[in-house]
Amino acid sequence: MDSNGSGQITDAAERYKSGVIPYKKMGYWDADYVPKETDVIALFRLTPQPGVDPEEAAAAVAGESSTATWTVVWTDRLTAAELYRAKAYRVDLVPNTGPGTNTEAQYFAYIAYDLDLFEEGSIANLTASIIGNVFGFKAVKALRLEDMRLPVAYLKTFQGPATGIIVERERLDKFGRPILGATVKPKLGLSGRNYGRVVYEALKGGLDFTKDDENINSQPFMHWRDRFLYSMEAVNRASATTGEVKGHYLNVTAGTMEAMYERAEFAKSLGSVIVMIDLVIGYTAIQSMAKWARDNSMILHLHRAGHGTYTRQKNHGINFRVISKWMRMAGVDHIHAGTIVGKLEGDPNMVRGFYDILRESHNDVNLERGIFFEQPWASLKKVMPVASGGIHAGQMHQLVHYLGEDVVLQFGGGTIGHPMGVQAGATANRVALEAMIMARNEGRDYLNEGPKILDDAAKTCAPLRAALDTWKDITFNYASTDTPDFVPTTTGSI
Amino acid sequence: MSDTENKPSELNEIDIDAIYRESEIQDVLDRLDAELIGLVPVKTRIREIAALLLIDKLRRQLDLTAGNPSMHMSFTGNPGTGKTTVAMRMADILHRLGYVRQGHLVAVTRDDLVGQYIGHTAPKTREVLKKAMGGVLFIDEAYYLYKPENERDYGAESIEILLQVMENQRDDLVVILAGYKDRMDKFFESNPGMSSRIAHHIDFPNYNPTELVQIAKLMLAESNYRMSDEAEDVFAQYVVKRMEMPNFANARSIRNALDRARLRQANRLFNSRGRMLTKADLMTIEADDFLKSRIFSDGVDDNSEDGE
Amino acid sequence: MITNPTGRLTQGQFSFLPDLTDEQISAQIKWALAHDWAVSIEYTDDPHPRNTYWEMFGLPMFDLKDPAAILMEINEARKTFPNYYIRVMAFNSTRGVESPAMSFIVNRPANEPGLGLSRQEGQGREIRYGFHAYATDKPEGERY
Repeated sequence: MDSNGSGQITDAAERYKSGVIPYKKMGYWDADYVPKETDVIALFRLTPQPGVDPEEAAAAVAGESSTATWTVVWTDRLTAAELYRAKAYRVDLVPNTGPGTNTEAQYFAYIAYDLDLFEEGSIANLTASIIGNVFGFKAVKALRLEDMRLPVAYLKTFQGPATGIIVERERLDKFGRPILGATVKPKLGLSGRNYGRVVYEALKGGLDFTKDDENINSQPFMHWRDRFLYSMEAVNRASATTGEVKGHYLNVTAGTMEAMYERAEFAKSLGSVIVMIDLVIGYTAIQSMAKWARDNSMILHLHRAGHGTYTRQKNHGINFRVISKWMRMAGVDHIHAGTIVGKLEGDPNMVRGFYDILRESHNDVNLERGIFFEQPWASLKKVMPVASGGIHAGQMHQLVHYLGEDVVLQFGGGTIGHPMGVQAGATANRVALEAMIMARNEGRDYLNEGPKILDDAAKTCAPLRAALDTWKDITFNYASTDTPDFVPTTTGSI
Repeated sequence: MSDTENKPSELNEIDIDAIYRESEIQDVLDRLDAELIGLVPVKTRIREIAALLLIDKLRRQLDLTAGNPSMHMSFTGNPGTGKTTVAMRMADILHRLGYVRQGHLVAVTRDDLVGQYIGHTAPKTREVLKKAMGGVLFIDEAYYLYKPENERDYGAESIEILLQVMENQRDDLVVILAGYKDRMDKFFESNPGMSSRIAHHIDFPNYNPTELVQIAKLMLAESNYRMSDEAEDVFAQYVVKRMEMPNFANARSIRNALDRARLRQANRLFNSRGRMLTKADLMTIEADDFLKSRIFSDGVDDNSEDGE
Repeated sequence: MITNPTGRLTQGQFSFLPDLTDEQISAQIKWALAHDWAVSIEYTDDPHPRNTYWEMFGLPMFDLKDPAAILMEINEARKTFPNYYIRVMAFNSTRGVESPAMSFIVNRPANEPGLGLSRQEGQGREIRYGFHAYATDKPEGERY
């Protein structure tokens, strides 16, 4: 049987004879393939079934995520099949897996897809190919989409963030410091009137934003119009008494697009600067809302509700960095991306990688942070990451150090749980933040002097003193499940 | 614990050498010696100023406050005597001894400071002052700021703003006024306010012929050239002749003469095609390269009006 | 009198902290200069949250080395407009930013009456809100 170096059958009659032949031989494996600049590249973490050759498993993933089915079809010969076939071109053993370790062998499989395989501006189409069928595929025991390289030509077909970090700051008139937010708690049960009280106190006390939680939609205890009306009364009262632009993320998530548009239009008519959606509404709905937000000068906040079901396990699912890329393409302005120091999952290096993907104009390869590909962002705007979940004023130096300036620091419990009340909680956070930014700009070693800087600021701010005393020892030290595969090694200098 | 325990008493010893080394001031003085030929009185003054600042720094460490000494200066002398170069080194010294924060030099003339119409001068002068803050403002031919023959000249406005800043923001910048000695003297006579704010008057003497030849050799070495022995003899004669001519500008005239010699050398080498050239050929300026100057044939400077 | 916890307008980076001393202002400007940002001074007597265009006190200052130069201008602005809001801004011209990178208030009116909220009732309980700076009842230049 004629075949080339990669094992692909080159004789056409042989290749298209009815029956079943291995994917590798069908042309889905090509070790010599050099990806074109316009190719979409997907990197999978692959755990083959016992006894399955990793190259064959990679070829199978390439096949099932592009043109192949389980058997040979003659209709391939009516197409430019060679072009449309995805090509697995590289398989690397994942460090610290396989023989001699406690983990069964895993492989990084690189697969290239021709641009012709994708519809312009459609995350749904992109994902239907890349993650459509292959995750249930029998030949692989587990599969995780780790990273993607999106060609500039393809990125240019997406709108990208409706507003972006820069324009958001200009609209809010807030520069040179992280934005402060808080999620209204309890998540469920407050009436509209009581809900607005929390919004008002928090914003007047010094926060820039408050937020609906992901599961606040239009329940019996508070229908959406009531929430919107009371929240906007609170937002505007707070704006008047501070002279600042304030906002509340009004969650417009609903059962149909029509209902979401209706709610978003109402938020707009009340003068809100921002609306919010949940990741669970789906990629197409997100893209529709991003378009609506761009058309209506609104900031679009995305809560990543549900992502933990498929991003957390290391061997199966989708890495959050890929979701970050898709959401930047889909066009959201805010996305929850981890806190490093808070209560939710997130290895520091991994989280910083997500932030890089959301905020930089160009990503260089950074294996330590899990960024496998160089990625120019083709002037798609930058997404503001949101750090939310178990953070408080006493961690301000760490938050500023790890997360930087372009981030929303979201203190829910850390505001509303303050012993002196919501307003005092908000003030504590704002004073802590301003003191830390001032110290950073003065060139101080604010990460190490952090507690001292906060203590000093608390001398003229009783609410901050109370916050520091209340939460002084609260940390969440659990091992992360999603950790880097590559750690920097110190090489001896020559 | 007594209040004075940690403060050095009058008997405590201070390591002046340590502070001197730390400031790396010797580097600057060495460079000054290596880069600038002659100028002995100038170098002496600079050493004195450096000593003053160093001692002042020591005194400050012992809380012996005396207020910052004024450091505004005037550099007088003919063109090409090294005023700008010394000003740059001065900025460096002032920076190393903590007198100015950034140590950069902003060199300007009247045109940068004085405007053409009402309301133009103040912003222009302030703009220049702002750029120079933290460093040294070098005003070349400063006397042009003052034109007594023209009553409505805006220069006076600029001088007024300069005086204000020189007095009130001594910590923020040092002003050096430069120009011909005689005109500067007249300028100070008519502007006593300015004169009283200048702490150091430094006069830059003309170079003598030996120094000028040394300068030439230094300049050539910096650009990987050298003179043959015969060329050096011829150049010494050239220098004496050139010094007697109008528009002689010390080191600047030397640089111009060398530039022309390089041109002639290139021509000479180009015309000698047909033989192999060595690296030495490419580096060496020969006597001929100077002898072709019109100074030797017509007794006029190569740059004189009728041209070569 | 404004009733928020600070008792004053809270726009800008450091409004929740005690007024910045000249030394603290210089340190902030040093940070801006170290990033090669152009610093500018702006003033207004209208604290409306969407009053984007405060008056420029001269053009943004480019190519400066030392904070003293900018502090000199700030003091000049304070002398000229002692009862106005004056803010310092820094502009980052890097590709992908091209926008302010800092903004903080360095001067305020002695008395800050703040803003009122106006409401226009519509159908279905809908309300249109408006902000109104009390000071703007008076003509420009006589507000504080």
